[in-house]
Amino acid sequence: MALSCPSFSVTVQTSMFKAASNNLSAEPKNLRWFYDQYAPMLLGYINGIVQDPQQSEHHLVAILTSFVKDVVILPEKNRLNIWLELRQYAQSKLTLYTAKDQQLNLNQSVNNGRLDLLDELQKKIFCAVYYHGKSIHYLAATIGYDESEIRNQLKLSIDKMRRASGN
Amino acid sequence: MEINEIIESGLMETYVMGIATEDEVAKVLSLKKEYPAFKDALEQLELDMELMAQSMGVEPPVGTLAKIEHEINEIQRQNQAVQTAFNSEYSDDRSHHENKREKYIEVESESNQMRVNKAWKWVFIAIFVLGKIFLACAIYFYLENRQVKEQIETLKIELQQKIR
Repeated sequence: MALSCPSFSVTVQTSMFKAASNNLSAEPKNLRWFYDQYAPMLLGYINGIVQDPQQSEHHLVAILTSFVKDVVILPEKNRLNIWLELRQYAQSKLTLYTAKDQQLNLNQSVNNGRLDLLDELQKKIFCAVYYHGKSIHYLAATIGYDESEIRNQLKLSIDKMRRASGN
Repeated sequence: MEINEIIESGLMETYVMGIATEDEVAKVLSLKKEYPAFKDALEQLELDMELMAQSMGVEPPVGTLAKIEHEINEIQRQNQAVQTAFNSEYSDDRSHHENKREKYIEVESESNQMRVNKAWKWVFIAIFVLGKIFLACAIYFYLENRQVKEQIETLKIELQQKIR
């Protein structure tokens, strides 16, 4: 049974008819648990990419629905990968926005979290990677630093935010 | 390079952010198996990334869950409709086939026609044409032979009359 308890592992499968129908047999309470756990995180993430609250809500419904349909969640192993899986899934569904080579200007509707702790370069690098999935190689070419510096700045930005959370 | 240096190299961060190259992913997976310290550090980072996403989360508007449930129910209903249609079509096909078997008696018979490769058409045409040519030749030589025989008979008669 899909979405049955707090310990899961996620296995992406092709949307075969049987798998999809099995997955959609998730009980409402399990769907509610999944929604409560991940919908706010996902909406925050989508807001960071789309930057339009109404569009973001529309995408949230579409992405969560198709994720539940396409991804088989088994009650095994641990749940550490669910968010990473969901984030990458959302990124792949928002290629219309992520493919754009645009400057990321977070508006007021976006919850910046601890992004304010970062300097401009770190914020630029972190947002380009986190929201738009840009590679180290691409950033090195566009920003004008070498790859090791981009990698270092990315690590520093994540470390800063982790330290602010007390880790 | 020591494991602590690898942990501090930024490799885990690129992996967790989903931008690692294939080689880097393979390296991370191998290190994860080989070094428990690396595995722990990676899992801690994954957990922290989740906590970070929670801190950047936005509460969805009321009614969003209902919309998702509606969408899922709609897909489920469509899937069931497709499955039902498939099942009924399959069972109709089976019952139709069984009815057909009940209505008709199966008879075994042998066909009296022979199947021949189309290439043989040209062979048969060639044999037909050659047959006609041989027939024409046979008639021609028969008539020729008869005429020669008549001439020989005439010459014999003329020769006997001259001898007398």
